[in-house]
Parts: sequence; C-alpha cells; structure tokens
Amino acid sequence: MPAWFFGMLVDYELIRRAKEGDGPAFNQLVAAYRKRILGTIARLIGRPEDVEDVGQEVFLRLYYSLDQLRSAEVFEPWLYRLTANAAYDYLRKRRRRMESRMADLSEQQVLLADAVAGEKIDRDEGQKKRIREAVDALLERVSEEDRVLLTLKEVEGLSLKELGEIYHVKENALKVRLFRARQRVLKAFSAARKQAAGVSSLR
Amino acid sequence: MDHQNHQSGSDEARLDAMFEAYRAACPDLEPSADFMPQLWLKIEARQSVSAVFGRLARNLATAALALSLLLGLAVSISGSRVGPLPSESYAEVLADEHYNASLDFEPVRPAPAEPR
Repeated sequence: MPAWFFGMLVDYELIRRAKEGDGPAFNQLVAAYRKRILGTIARLIGRPEDVEDVGQEVFLRLYYSLDQLRSAEVFEPWLYRLTANAAYDYLRKRRRRMESRMADLSEQQVLLADAVAGEKIDRDEGQKKRIREAVDALLERVSEEDRVLLTLKEVEGLSLKELGEIYHVKENALKVRLFRARQRVLKAFSAARKQAAGVSSLR
Repeated sequence: MDHQNHQSGSDEARLDAMFEAYRAACPDLEPSADFMPQLWLKIEARQSVSAVFGRLARNLATAALALSLLLGLAVSISGSRVGPLPSESYAEVLADEHYNASLDFEPVRPAPAEPR
C-alpha cells in the first residue's frame, strides 16, 4: 500500500493559508511533506546525491504554482504530479548529458541485476548502492516516461486509481501504458542478460 | 509454447523481485539541515529575476507610451503646416484622372483586309 495516500499530512486550512502567500504556512507544508517527497524522488531517479536538488525544484514549483491549485482536497495528487514532472525533467537532462557514456550496461551491472532478481545477495550498504546502480542502468534503457510510470507503480506501489489522479488518465489507458512499459523493461532486461552471457562465453 | 510461457513468467517474477530489491535499497532520506534555507534562497533568486523582468517590462511600456505621444505630437504639428485639403471629393478627382487618361489612348482599329 502506498504511504502517501494514507491521509493528508496537513489540514486543508494550512494549504489554504500557504496558497494565500503565508510564508510560515508554506514552511510547515514543506516540513510535513519533504521526507516523503525526497524518498519518492530517490526511487524515481536512483541518485541519492541529486535528490535534494530535485526536491527543492519540486517545492519551488509548488511555491510558484500554489495559487493554481483548485482545492486543498486535491493537494496530494497534485504534489505528486509536480514530483513526477520534476523527476522526469531531471532524467531527461541527465540522459542528454550522459548519452555517450551510458550506452550499455556493464557486464558486472547485468550480473548484479540478475543476482538481485534471484535474491542471491546480502544487502549491506555497498550492495544497496550497487543494486541502485544496476536497476538505474537497466531503467536507462527505457524512456523517462516508462521509467517514472513504472517506478510509481512497481516501486512506490501506487494503485491505478492514484496514478489516474496524478496523470489525469483513465485506468484502462494506464493499464495499457503500464503493460507496454513493463514489456520494454523485460525486453531490455533479457537483452542485457544475453549480452552479458555472450561476453562471458567469449572469455 | 509451454517453455516460452514459463520463461516469460519467470522473467516477470525476476523483474518483480528486482523492483522489490530496489525499493529496499532506496529508503526514505532525511533532508539535510540546509534544505529549507537553500529552498528559500532559490525562491528569492527567482523572485528577483521576475522582479527584474517586471521592471524591464514596465520601463518598456513607459518608453512606448512616451514615444507614441511624441509621434502623435509630431504628426499634429506637421499636419498644421500642410496646405488646405482639396475641395473636390475623391470620386471627382478619380473621374478627372480617368478622363485625362482616356485622352492618352487611341482605340486600336484592325487594318482593312487587302483584296485578293
């Protein structure tokens, strides 16, 4: 079950005050949501070192667009939409920066991804870092849209209804998009495994 | 066929396990102490940029207004120096010009055919 839909972390009055430009109310709003949003961003982008920057971008966008919020009741899906968009923008910029360097998964990353999938490894801090890198490298092989959508569904555990509220898309359309995204990740996963197997057999 | 289904089911399960491991490897982060100060710095930086653009837009609008007033003044001054407007209407002037133009042309008559 997703943590973020358990209930609002703040009351509607605080959101209304922040919407009217009350600085302390905005501070309280950020303080209530920042940990949750940073966790989601960490899983969306897979780079702990950039999480705070993207998180600040989310709250910066929140500050400048709060007056467009229709009602306090839709605050959470709306904040998640800002988060998904900021993560998407970050991933797109990163892909442009690193396109030449990250064309393929390294063999070690593929083997690690395989081991992760087979639950063969202990998960100490170093190993966690390598898991993040392996999954991150695998998700680099699909589009940013697929990556964000799949992470929200498979890693964050959001339901189709919640995703529908964030994306403003009907559940059936989302099912199709998710199925296709998952197929593309599976294809990338098996291609990477074959590639790694080929490299190993050459040795 | 069965082998293919089994393979795809196994891949699906492996992918689910991988996502689960990824979830465990990316726990919630504690924000650093300067998260809020940095955020407010960014908010203020953007505010100052939009204030600069706002000032620029206001200055441009003022300059455009002043320029249009000057142009209006110049047109009214130069208009007062021009002689009186012709008393004829536009249709009369056009008719006169048409009459003069018609004098310039002779109708073209075909040459008479030569007897065979």
